[in-house]
Amino acid sequence: MSARLGSLMPWLALALLFIVTPQILSSATALTMTSLMGVMIIFALSYNMLLGQTGLLSFGHAVYFGLGGFVAIHTMNAVIHSKLPVSIPMIPLVGGLAGLAFGALFGLVSTRRAGIVFSMISLGLGELVSSSSFILRSFFGGEEGVTTNRAKLAPFFGHRFGSQLEVYYLIAAWCFFCVAAMYALTQTPFGRMCNAVRENPERVEFVGYSPRVLRLIAFCFAAFFAGVAGALGAISFEIMNAQQLGSQQSSLVLLMAYIGGVGSFAGPIVGAVIITFLQITLSDVTNAWQLYFGLMFIGAVLYAPDGVVGWLRMHLRVVRRGAAWRLAPAYALVAPALALAGVGAIMTIELANRQLAQARSEGSAMRLFGLDVDASTAWPWIVAVGLFVLGASGVRLLWPRVGEAWGDVNARLQIRSGA
Amino acid sequence: MTAALSIIELRKSFGPVQIIRGVSLDIAEGERHAIIGPNGAGKSTLFNLVSGRLAPSSGEVRLRGEPISGLPPFQINRRGLSRSFQITNIFPNLSVEENLRCAVLWSLGYKYVFWKSIYRLRDVRERVEWLMERIGLTARRDTQAGVLSYAEQRALEIGVTIGGSAEVILLDEPTAGMNNSESEQAVALIRKVSEGKTLVMVEHDMGVVFNLADRISVLVYGQIIASDTPERIRENAAVREAYLGQAQH
Repeated sequence: MSARLGSLMPWLALALLFIVTPQILSSATALTMTSLMGVMIIFALSYNMLLGQTGLLSFGHAVYFGLGGFVAIHTMNAVIHSKLPVSIPMIPLVGGLAGLAFGALFGLVSTRRAGIVFSMISLGLGELVSSSSFILRSFFGGEEGVTTNRAKLAPFFGHRFGSQLEVYYLIAAWCFFCVAAMYALTQTPFGRMCNAVRENPERVEFVGYSPRVLRLIAFCFAAFFAGVAGALGAISFEIMNAQQLGSQQSSLVLLMAYIGGVGSFAGPIVGAVIITFLQITLSDVTNAWQLYFGLMFIGAVLYAPDGVVGWLRMHLRVVRRGAAWRLAPAYALVAPALALAGVGAIMTIELANRQLAQARSEGSAMRLFGLDVDASTAWPWIVAVGLFVLGASGVRLLWPRVGEAWGDVNARLQIRSGA
Repeated sequence: MTAALSIIELRKSFGPVQIIRGVSLDIAEGERHAIIGPNGAGKSTLFNLVSGRLAPSSGEVRLRGEPISGLPPFQINRRGLSRSFQITNIFPNLSVEENLRCAVLWSLGYKYVFWKSIYRLRDVRERVEWLMERIGLTARRDTQAGVLSYAEQRALEIGVTIGGSAEVILLDEPTAGMNNSESEQAVALIRKVSEGKTLVMVEHDMGVVFNLADRISVLVYGQIIASDTPERIRENAAVREAYLGQAQH
């Protein structure tokens, strides 16, 4: 009984978090951001059903997000037009079913093979749908996209979802349901066989399963949940355009899953929250935010392949067993150098961005870390590059200490666990 | 009585090279049959043809009278034929328990079920416990398969192979790379798990072969030159020349 209660605790905590968040972060911008986070959590988790669970690297997952969103928005407009008794909370299901239908169709083609073949086909299908959005203008709405007015649908127990707060709770409810459903899927015979396909598709064939059928089912589920996310996005923003199903959106979801960590169920959730937060706040601070995303991705691939959640888990294990203080000195030593290198890199990027991209229209004068500088003069560059070189060589010099500390900690923990 | 496994005039060519050159063999229900032969004789290819990893160029394989040649491996597995691999072929990042669970799910009828929790499937749990006990890995249930010792991985390989309760079991060099005591344990395990089943194995270790097999077939250069009881195989002049004689040098 207590074990069952224990396994329910994280879900209660998540539900509570979803309920309380808008009470604390109640500003209009915060509500928009948390709503988008909910959408992206579903999207990123659906992506990880492919990448993390089944070992399928897709470059075109936004297709199902976007098509789900477009079908949802056209459904909303049709409902408004013919005054059908359909209210907003049902629309995400429509988006999901649209995603599922396209997923089944495209999945039949692309899940025949795994690995590079699958990735290439997903890229091709992504481009195909993307480019057809310029041809099928009546469906995709051309450059300005398709708009709707969610408040005109039939009310749901008196709620018209006119306010962003109501939309937030709608998204939160769907998000909670989707997270729970996707988690439950990982605990089923199908879910576990997906892991087996990721590990060793050949052996799967010799225990009675068709890897292709497993991949196809996983693909359909992933497309369904992506479609739900797309519909929720359409409801939240009341607009869909071709960008939502393009390659940029596809890379964004890969970035979210990877930064959060594809190896754990919670990874993509954390990734979606972090990336959405950065996407909104960073784009206010700097024009070069996409460059930072790229750098972050490279950094994660090189230095933290298990993502934020993997990194946290690794440290939590050490903290739990009381060995964190063995790592602290090495980290304290490296941290200033790392910070210095970071500041230097940011300054260099911002100066370059100013001088190369904006100087002609807005002049080369700018504010950098609270200081007024001119990107066309030499000294800010010297300082920026100097800081970076100093910091980077510091990190290079001191990093072995971190490695040693980890080696020491791992050895001790292994002795204690008797392995 | 129909044979458990019949191979009829089986041939396989890779380009112009014929690797299996007309193999015919009947293996009776409950028999333990060993296939021996020098390196490159085509033993592994024969296994790949029977288990569906490769499609034959001509000829036929029948499982209890039912033709299975040309079917994909999972179809053959579902009809009751399971095989192990010479090079360990398991799920390296899954635990021992999860490896075995993957092996039993289909045969217990769970197929692509996505609406039942794995933790509520009592028959699966019991079967996995029984398997772990059988192959002696109960204490290692939570260990990642990839970090097991070599002998443990070989035992898990056999566990995954027999997990689906197939009636016909093909073992490809189950004791390869083992030392004497490991090999003895493996033989005991194979004897135990093949009880009441039909076993076909490829093996290099003559001690293991003469100890386990009811009948032995000698495959040389893609053809079976003799198929008989261990005693008669030992006395067969052609076999001595082609294979056993070489081995004694």
